[in-house]
Amino acid sequence: MLEKYIKSKRKRFIIKRTIRTIPVLLIATLIAFSLMRVGGVDPARRILGMEASEEMIREFNVEHGLHHPPHIQYINWMTNLFRGDLGTSLRWGDPIAELIAPRIPITFQLMGLALFISIGLGISVGVIGALHSNTWIDYLTSIQALFWRSAPSFWVGTIFLLIFAFELGWFPIGGYRNIYYLILPATVLGIRLQAIIARLTRSSMLSVLNKEYIKSAQTKGLKKRVVIIKHALRNALIPVVTVIAMRLPFLFGGAMITEQIFNIPGMGRFIYQATISRDFVAVQSTILLITLIAVIANLGADIAYTYIDPRIELGSAEEV
Amino acid sequence: MGEGSSYFGDEEIDLDEEMEDLKNKETSQMELVWLRFKRNKLALFGMGVLILLVITAIFAPFLAPHDPLETNVERAREPPSRDYLLGTDQVGRDVLSRLIYGARVALLIGLLVVAVSGGIGITLGLLAGTIGGWVDEVIMRTVDAFLAFPILIFGMALATALGFGLYPVIIAVGLILWTRFARVVRGDVLAIKQETYIESAKAIGESKINIILRYFLPNVLPSIVVLATIQMPFALLSSAALNFLGIGVQPPQPSWGEMINSGARFMQFDPTMVTISGMTIVITVLAFNFVGDGLRDALDPIRRGGS
Repeated sequence: MLEKYIKSKRKRFIIKRTIRTIPVLLIATLIAFSLMRVGGVDPARRILGMEASEEMIREFNVEHGLHHPPHIQYINWMTNLFRGDLGTSLRWGDPIAELIAPRIPITFQLMGLALFISIGLGISVGVIGALHSNTWIDYLTSIQALFWRSAPSFWVGTIFLLIFAFELGWFPIGGYRNIYYLILPATVLGIRLQAIIARLTRSSMLSVLNKEYIKSAQTKGLKKRVVIIKHALRNALIPVVTVIAMRLPFLFGGAMITEQIFNIPGMGRFIYQATISRDFVAVQSTILLITLIAVIANLGADIAYTYIDPRIELGSAEEV
Repeated sequence: MGEGSSYFGDEEIDLDEEMEDLKNKETSQMELVWLRFKRNKLALFGMGVLILLVITAIFAPFLAPHDPLETNVERAREPPSRDYLLGTDQVGRDVLSRLIYGARVALLIGLLVVAVSGGIGITLGLLAGTIGGWVDEVIMRTVDAFLAFPILIFGMALATALGFGLYPVIIAVGLILWTRFARVVRGDVLAIKQETYIESAKAIGESKINIILRYFLPNVLPSIVVLATIQMPFALLSSAALNFLGIGVQPPQPSWGEMINSGARFMQFDPTMVTISGMTIVITVLAFNFVGDGLRDALDPIRRGGS
C-alpha cells in the first residue's frame, strides 16, 4: 500500500520536475543568445580587422546570417539546434561541433578528476572532523576548509603551479598529453569543492550522529564504526549529492580558469578564446551546451533523491 | 572593539530575558543585534579587518608611500626593500601602493555589485512573492536558468560584450548574483503573507504598493542585510577572476586580480607580489564571511520572532 503510494507520488514528481526544465532551457537559450549581443559589438569588424572594406563586412554578415534582425537570427539558431547543428564559428569558420568535439573529453576528464579528488578528500575530511568534533583535529580541518573556500581559484592555481611544477618539478607546467597532465589542474579545480563538501559532510554527520536511531543502534551493541558508516554517512551524503549537482556550473567556470592557467586545450579555453574574438555564435552554442548538461545533472540529482530518501520533495508520504 | 566579548558570555540568561522588552523598541533592536554580534569573536575580528580596509580605501592617497601608477623601469621586479616595502612590479610600480589603491577598486566593485544584484533580486523577489501566478513562474524559472548557467563564463561573455573595464565587470557580476536575493526575498514574502497583519492591512483597503513598502520590505530587511554581506565575497572573487583574465579593470589601474596575473609572470624570480595580492583577497573574503555569519546569527532570533 505504502510502497504503491510512494511510487505514484514519485512518478508525479518526476514528470512535474521534468516538465519544469523546458521553460528553464527556453529562458537559457534567450540569455545565451542575447548575452554577447547586448553591447552592440560588431564581430565582423573585430574578426576581419580595421582594414576590411564595407563590402567584405557585408559579405561576412550575409555568410553568417548576421544581416537578419535579431529575432530571425534567434529562430534560425534554434531551428539549427533542433537539427543538431551548433552553427559555424565566426572566428575560425569551422562548424562549432567539430571545434569542440575533441575538447569535450579533455574538460570532462579534468572535471571528473576534480570531482573524484574533491569528493574523496571532502568526505574523508568531513568524517574525520565529525568524529573528532571540537578537538584540534576538527579545528584544523575546519580552518583548511575555510581557507580554500576563501581563496580565489586562479590564485591557488598560480601558486600550485609555482610550487609543484616550477619549484618541485613534480608535475608538468602545463599543456595536455595524457591524464597525468591533469592531476595538478584537477586538484586546483577540486580543492574549493572539497572544502564545501567537507563542511557539509561534517555538519550533516554531526546532526545525524546526534539523532536517536543512531544512539539506539549503538546501544544494541553494533560496533561504532559500522554504525557510523551505515547510518550516518548514508544520510550525510544526501546533501552532498545536491551540492555537487548544483556546483556543476561553477565547476565549468573554474575549468575555464584552470585551463587558462595550465594551458589545457579544453572547452573552457575554447570559450575564452571565442569570447575574446567576439565569436558570439560559438559562445552562445557552447554556453547552451554546458547549461544543458547542468540542467540535466540537476534533474538527475533531484530524481535520484526521491530514491535515496522518499521523504524529500514527495511531501508527507511517510505519514500515510 | 575586542573588549567585552567573553564578558557577555556569562550574562547570556539576562540577555534572553531582556530580549522581550528590547524587541518592542525600534532602536533597541539594533542594540540587541549588536550585543549578540559582539559575542562572536570571529565576526568581531572580521569587522575589524573590514573597518581597516574601508579606512585604507578612503585614505589611500595619504597611506600609499608612492604613486600607484608611477613606473620606474630601472627598478622593476625588485624584491621588498626600504624604498619599496613589498617590492615593485614588472614596470617598477610600488606593490604596496597598488595594493592600497586596489582596496578602493575591490570595495567599489563589491558595493556596486551588491547594489545592482540586490536591486534586481529584491524587486523580482517581491514581485514573485506578492503577485504570484505566472509572474512568479516566469521569475523563478529565470532564476533556475541562471543557476544552471556557468556564471563565470556568463560574466566573462557579458563583460566582454559591454567592453572591458570597471563598469562592465560590475554589471556582469551584478547580473549573476541577483538570483539568491530573489529566492530569499520571495521565500520571506511567502512566509509573511500568512501573517494576520497583512490580512488586516488588505481589509482596511491599503494599496498593494503600500502593503509591499510598509509591511513586506521592512520584514525582509534582516535577510537582505545578511545576504548582502554574504554575497560580498562572491562579488569580490568573481570580479577578481575577471580582472585576472584581463577582462575587468584595465591596467595601469590597480586591481588585486590583475596583480596576481602580472605577478605570476615573474613569480619564479620573486613570488612576493603573487603571494601578497592573493593573501589580501583571502583575508578580505574571510572577513566578509565571518561578519556575514555573525550577522546571520545575531539577526536570527528577530527574524524568527517576526514570523
